[in-house]
Amino acid sequence: MNGSSPHTPNEPNAFEKVVAFVDERVGLKTIQAKVLNEPVPGGSRWAYAFGSCLLFIFIMQVVTGILLMFYYVPSIDHAYMSTQYIIHEVDYGWFLLSYHFWGSSAMVVMVFAHMSQVFLWGAYKKPRELVWLVGLALFGLVMAFGFTGYLLPWDQRAYWATVVGVEIMDKTPIIGDFLARFLKGGPTPGQMTLSRFFVIHVMVLPAGLMGLAGLHIFLFRKAGPAGPFRGTPEQLKAKTDYFFPRQIWKDIVAMASVFLIICSLAFIEPVVLLEEATPDPGDYHPEPEWYFLFLFQMLRLKIFSGEFGQFLGAIAIPGAFLAFLAALPFLDRSPERDIFKRPLALIGWIVIMAGILLFTVSAILNREFLD
Amino acid sequence: MQPKITANARCVDGEVGSIAKIIVDPLSHEISHVVIRERGGQGVERQVPIDQIQAVPNEEEVLLQGSTDTFRQWPVLNRGDYVTIHEVEIAHLEDHLHVAPGEILVPYPRLEQAVPRRSFFANMTHAIGALIALPLVFPVLKYLMQPMYRPFDNTWFPVGNVRKVKKENIGYQFKYTRGFKEAFMPEQHIEKNIWVVKATPAVQQAIYGGKDRKFYDDKGNVVWVNKANATHIGFSGKCPHLGCGYKWRRTKNYPDGVFLCPCHLSIYDEAGKVLDGPAPRPLDVLPLQVNAVGDMKIIDVEYKAGVKNQIRLL
Ligand code: HEM
Ligand code: FES
Repeated sequence: MNGSSPHTPNEPNAFEKVVAFVDERVGLKTIQAKVLNEPVPGGSRWAYAFGSCLLFIFIMQVVTGILLMFYYVPSIDHAYMSTQYIIHEVDYGWFLLSYHFWGSSAMVVMVFAHMSQVFLWGAYKKPRELVWLVGLALFGLVMAFGFTGYLLPWDQRAYWATVVGVEIMDKTPIIGDFLARFLKGGPTPGQMTLSRFFVIHVMVLPAGLMGLAGLHIFLFRKAGPAGPFRGTPEQLKAKTDYFFPRQIWKDIVAMASVFLIICSLAFIEPVVLLEEATPDPGDYHPEPEWYFLFLFQMLRLKIFSGEFGQFLGAIAIPGAFLAFLAALPFLDRSPERDIFKRPLALIGWIVIMAGILLFTVSAILNREFLD
Repeated sequence: MQPKITANARCVDGEVGSIAKIIVDPLSHEISHVVIRERGGQGVERQVPIDQIQAVPNEEEVLLQGSTDTFRQWPVLNRGDYVTIHEVEIAHLEDHLHVAPGEILVPYPRLEQAVPRRSFFANMTHAIGALIALPLVFPVLKYLMQPMYRPFDNTWFPVGNVRKVKKENIGYQFKYTRGFKEAFMPEQHIEKNIWVVKATPAVQQAIYGGKDRKFYDDKGNVVWVNKANATHIGFSGKCPHLGCGYKWRRTKNYPDGVFLCPCHLSIYDEAGKVLDGPAPRPLDVLPLQVNAVGDMKIIDVEYKAGVKNQIRLL
């Protein structure tokens, strides 16, 4: 593993010969050593497992997503029936669909956890600005995955979340109308919308996420891990170890836990579709997926009523917040990374998280009141 | 002045060896030690802190503090505690190192030096990976297999009236449509065809060998029997070679007509027997019933192509 035992007296077996053959040509062992021997300043930590968990969840989304496509048909005559078929007829179809569903929620939770960790640790600061920026783009892709995937079963929930979501985008200045028509593939939602959401969900976003995640990790490796925000260089050096074995170990244990949690959720709360989509909501109260609920709830506030209010709540404020996050490493130039010496950052984070929580909970309370 | 990596090292009382390796501190990126291979010491390599270098008179030579005896007190390099800089990823490590060639070493972190359990960690990591992947294998296989096997369809389909079959021992094509329900799709109508031959007793004998032909469902129960002396024979429209559609044709060699498959030129006589070509078995006889007014019905049995025995698919 680490070149400490260059001489093995035994004859190599067939597998070792194949490895040696490839190694001779591409330097496999050196690559492996490079990947595994990355010093983690201050030593491995559970807090660094979020990024790896995101990768794991994403890979599982790809696997389950490909499996779902074996039966799913992206047409408005068949999308609903084929999804019902997956849930009710195909062996373990309910499980794979429910895993994919809960996996998407897990991805959003994990992306918030990862962002919070790198924010609180001050890991976005110089020299890791690009890692942070690419990370923000990844955040956008994760949310876009949730939004586009939600439509695919073509039930009432799917249809109405999309109608509302696209109406919100429509309020973007200048490009809004174009964007909404582009996504709908016309003036109103229909087959073209489903086709577009499908191809964005299964081709465009995965390709984008794979590329950007690769870039993210490349940039991360170039800059090196930030490590803890406290400790002198000597203290850090004493505690430093390599990515392998301790950090990998923590990562894989975290991944296994995430896997178990998603499996349990799929068992406890499997996906159930509502009625097939129609432009008549009937008794159904349209609502987006839970991770968009806080935005949805915000739009119910008085100050966000009227055309301008809507623009403010749905586009301007979230947009300005994301722009602020993008500018953050350039605005916050102080090298101080200790979160307890960055009161503004700590308070800001608490306020934002509490705000999101508050709005989400009040949206859920509102739900009871509507029913 | 920077010494060459191969420079000779001498103490006040004489030459001790030559620099063989350099050790870099992973945090400061500075050279922390030079490794000196003892002259005549069977290649013993000692690890000497960089501040022991007193002077560098020229590129070929470094002067160490202390005597040869002091030198002998420096620890012997334990190569296993280090990796080369090619095997480690430390950002900007090489940026201000201008030494080449030779091995430039980086020490394993202190925590890593005492890990006899590296392979234990590796095995456990693989084991957990397997624990995630293996439980999925069976469900995923079952999931993918769902539509692959389905019970045989023993429905009777009307195909036409025997009146159309005028001459004996000649193939007549009958087209029919059948409903087909697949998974969540609404019922589809698909067109198929069969070939019917009005058989003389000799041809009946050639096909059935004087024995009734039984047809079975997937549980092995008989669903229909073609009598050995039935006059009308229905052949499946699917060529038993690799599944193309064949035709009844008169050719130079067979002026009375034969079944000819255009794909790989299999030729069958009116009894379905292979006369020529790559087909592994005769044409497939279908369950056929003819009622009092001559209306024919068949069961749309389909067999696997390309094998010697009939293996029922549908
Ligand atoms: C699909 C989404 C993402 C994936 C797969 C991903 C993956 C990773 C991985 C594997 C690491 C290595 C170390 C660690 O886990 O802490 C990392 C580090 C990092 N990520 Fe992400 N990430 C994603 C999204 C984001 C987002 C949304 C942000 C912030 C806006 C972000 C910012 C960072 C930063 C600043 C680091 C460096 C942390 C450090 O040096 O300690 N990432 N990411
Ligand atoms: S398929 Fe008919 S001869 Fe090959």
